[in-house]
Amino acid sequence: MRVEGRRLARSFLRCFAIQGSFNDRTYQAGGLTYALLPLLQRAYGGDPVGLREATERHLARFNAHPYLAPMAVGALARLESEGADPATIGRFRRALTGALGAAGDRAIWGSWRPFCLLLGLLAFSLGSGPWMAVLAFLGPFTAGHLAIRLWAFHRGWTRGREAPAALGSFFWQRVPRWLSRGSLMLVGAVAVGLAGPIAGEMSMGSVAGAAAGLVAVLASFRPEAGGRLAGVLLVIAPLAAVVLR
Amino acid sequence: MLLCMLLGGVTAVDAVSWPQAMISRPVVSATLGGAVLGEPLAGLTVGAILELLALRHLPMGTASYPDTGPAGVVAGASAAVSVGPAGLAAATLAGWAIGWMGSRTVGWLRSLNAWLVAGPSVQELAARPARLERRHRWAVALDVARGGVLVGALLVPAAALSTIMPDVRGAPAEVAVVGGLIGALAAGAGAGGGALSSRGREVLLVALGAVGMIVLRTLV
Repeated sequence: MRVEGRRLARSFLRCFAIQGSFNDRTYQAGGLTYALLPLLQRAYGGDPVGLREATERHLARFNAHPYLAPMAVGALARLESEGADPATIGRFRRALTGALGAAGDRAIWGSWRPFCLLLGLLAFSLGSGPWMAVLAFLGPFTAGHLAIRLWAFHRGWTRGREAPAALGSFFWQRVPRWLSRGSLMLVGAVAVGLAGPIAGEMSMGSVAGAAAGLVAVLASFRPEAGGRLAGVLLVIAPLAAVVLR
Repeated sequence: MLLCMLLGGVTAVDAVSWPQAMISRPVVSATLGGAVLGEPLAGLTVGAILELLALRHLPMGTASYPDTGPAGVVAGASAAVSVGPAGLAAATLAGWAIGWMGSRTVGWLRSLNAWLVAGPSVQELAARPARLERRHRWAVALDVARGGVLVGALLVPAAALSTIMPDVRGAPAEVAVVGGLIGALAAGAGAGGGALSSRGREVLLVALGAVGMIVLRTLV
């Protein structure tokens, strides 16, 4: 079935709001249905009962990584357009939740995003101005997430049931691991690098940097304890100014 | 104030509802907050610390995480009017606290969203798709409003806290204040690194990065 580009574009753009009505009962189901509607209306044009049943199907609980959810939108719309039976659609829909969630969490929240954030912080610690630092983060990150979303939607619409197979590829399995390792090195570099600007005019900038590096390394072995220590020190810092002035 | 509230709304909605372009991250939101008052560098400084503190809080599964968009805007604006490291420390602390307060309001919003799109019977919503579309858009609009209200309510107290902090530059207390801030960012960074690594030995890469930066700083 030929679907005009405008409908596909509308559906794709609606994917950016897929978490707009996120809730703890149906998660992204409202957003998924919202994004699917332009294509469902095309698939079931002249069949209001079919449209109502399809809409009802997709209001059931659904959750996936928001940048990969467009794959679900494209693939489910494809299945609906091809007249797949509701049981098949339901099974595929449930399988997508695990696949798209796990791949996205690992590759994007756990690798791509922290890597780009730390690039921005590294730029700041090396002396760049604030807007260059922001650009050092948002530039690559924006290019990446837009490309992923577009690829996911296109893959879903053109491949239907076969779409998620791409998530087992080298790119989705290996690259996130490299990025995570890169992020770990950047964590150490940034902890040392930012100590200098914060130490400011104090003559102990290099000592502060070394100490920061040591604290970062130790905290990385015990993330929970490191997080608590960070919170405690954050409270102590302003209190010290009041108590010791 | 209105501009900050608008920024608060825009950064709040970006975190989850639309479009998740990551302008809600402290690196961006705090820089913007500082820029509103003419001090983007102060904003970024506090944003950098908040970013490292938030690094280990990944939005996976049922994990909770701070609402960094409005928190960053408030922290950045507060840092812009602060004087000295104590003011910076107060702005950072305010931002961190507001982030977790904001996280609570996200929970309330989700309950409201459940009423909006999961409350009516599925058959009712499916029969009238236009109603579903309207409710979905309302949910997005409510998230914008939530961020704006959060900033509107907490910007003045946070900025006031930052401005009343004593200027400890040149005083003995400066070492304690700066040491505390640096310790917090380093511990937060390390904790974030630990959360990101999948294998125990990988955290040694943190040491490699730290040594590399020390060498670079020494040579340059």
